[in-house]
Amino acid sequence: MGYLLEGLSRAVDLLVSGDAETFSAVVATLEATALSLAAALAVGLPAGFCLGYFTFPGKRVARMLSDAFMGFPTVVIGLLVYALLSRRGPLGELGLLFTIPGMAAGLTLLALPMVVSLTASAVEQMDGRIRLTLLTLGADGRQLLLGVLWEARYGVLAGAVATFGRVVSEVGIAMMVGGNIKWHTRTITTAIALETGKGEFAQGIALGMVLLGIALAVNAVLAVLRHRSGG
Amino acid sequence: MNAPVYELTGVEHRYGGRIALSCERLVVRPGRIVGIKGPNGAGKSTLLAVMAFLAAPTRGSVRFMGEETAGSTDVRLRRQAVLMPQDPALLRRKVRENVLYGLKVRGVSGGRAAEEALELVGLDPALYLDRWWWELSGGEARRVALAARLALDPKVLLLDEPTASLDPESAGLVLAALRSARDGGLTVVAVSHDSEWLESASDDMYRLDPREGINPVRLENVQCAP
Repeated sequence: MGYLLEGLSRAVDLLVSGDAETFSAVVATLEATALSLAAALAVGLPAGFCLGYFTFPGKRVARMLSDAFMGFPTVVIGLLVYALLSRRGPLGELGLLFTIPGMAAGLTLLALPMVVSLTASAVEQMDGRIRLTLLTLGADGRQLLLGVLWEARYGVLAGAVATFGRVVSEVGIAMMVGGNIKWHTRTITTAIALETGKGEFAQGIALGMVLLGIALAVNAVLAVLRHRSGG
Repeated sequence: MNAPVYELTGVEHRYGGRIALSCERLVVRPGRIVGIKGPNGAGKSTLLAVMAFLAAPTRGSVRFMGEETAGSTDVRLRRQAVLMPQDPALLRRKVRENVLYGLKVRGVSGGRAAEEALELVGLDPALYLDRWWWELSGGEARRVALAARLALDPKVLLLDEPTASLDPESAGLVLAALRSARDGGLTVVAVSHDSEWLESASDDMYRLDPREGINPVRLENVQCAP
């Protein structure tokens, strides 16, 4: 028990003193997460909206695939992206392996099905009478689509926040594609795994506290969104 | 006599193979409150959907303001004939944004329209404008939905069961609001099960009467206006 308390005490010291190695991992994590989330939202929001709003042949199959990919094992995604980005792989010339953008590409594959499925669910679960309200108040075709998306905004945002929480805490893809390179691609989760393996609990605990702080902030945002959406 | 706002002739609407509405002839004059009553399944809501240009009739002629609309659901027409559905939903926004949404999509500045519309339906703007949709009771939400439509100053207001879930006092306020709007030139078509309210509200009264189950229903003028 003593070593845990000592680790906790040293962890606080590391955070308060602004330890460069600790904050390098935090910055790498936020960079990779922001890049992957931006890419996943740019593609996934319109795709998820179309999946939830329109009726088209193959819609059920598309939805089933999107839902299934949400549960895709992250090490398999890591393996796939590693194979694509490695020197012998088809995208090897891009030189993205063991870089933040390379990691972000892998994390995007993790985030994309979540954004698509959660956006589609938010649109599907919206009160069907809202569409009639928009129509009867005079919305034209474009205004109707934007209006429906805006009315589903809390559900869509909640999906984006949940995706952020999933991506920021991911370890398999970050380890395999990023390579856990100190000062470069070492993220919070890969650093925790490494430091714990070395028996160095202080930095692991310090980074764990940052991750917990992020998780709490994410949940606080979710709680506010839930309150706004349902009263 | 003023030219009719609506002239419906031989209008029929089917859902799948089932005839939901069959209307031989209906003429609505401007500046009137027209009440239409009838039992469940008579096609009252379908009639309003056709008149609101939300549903194109399977056959028949719908002339609106002298123009043959030929089953159009064009937004230009929808903005002139505004429907309040039986169970209207408010947008997930504050009351002010709900009342002004229709003006916003028309590119019209709201000014004091929200305040005036709320006052018309008996809601104090100072108390209600900044409330969220979920902070309203069912009756208040219905009155806000009506205010959102009155704020648009449409040619025609189509009301499906306007007094549902309203207490007698609120129903009286709605009636007063409709009469005030009618006196300002608005034409109102209301369908309701509430015969007493409908008879007290209407200048002209019609009955939509289904004949023998799913067979065509007919619209009859049971009380011609002077």
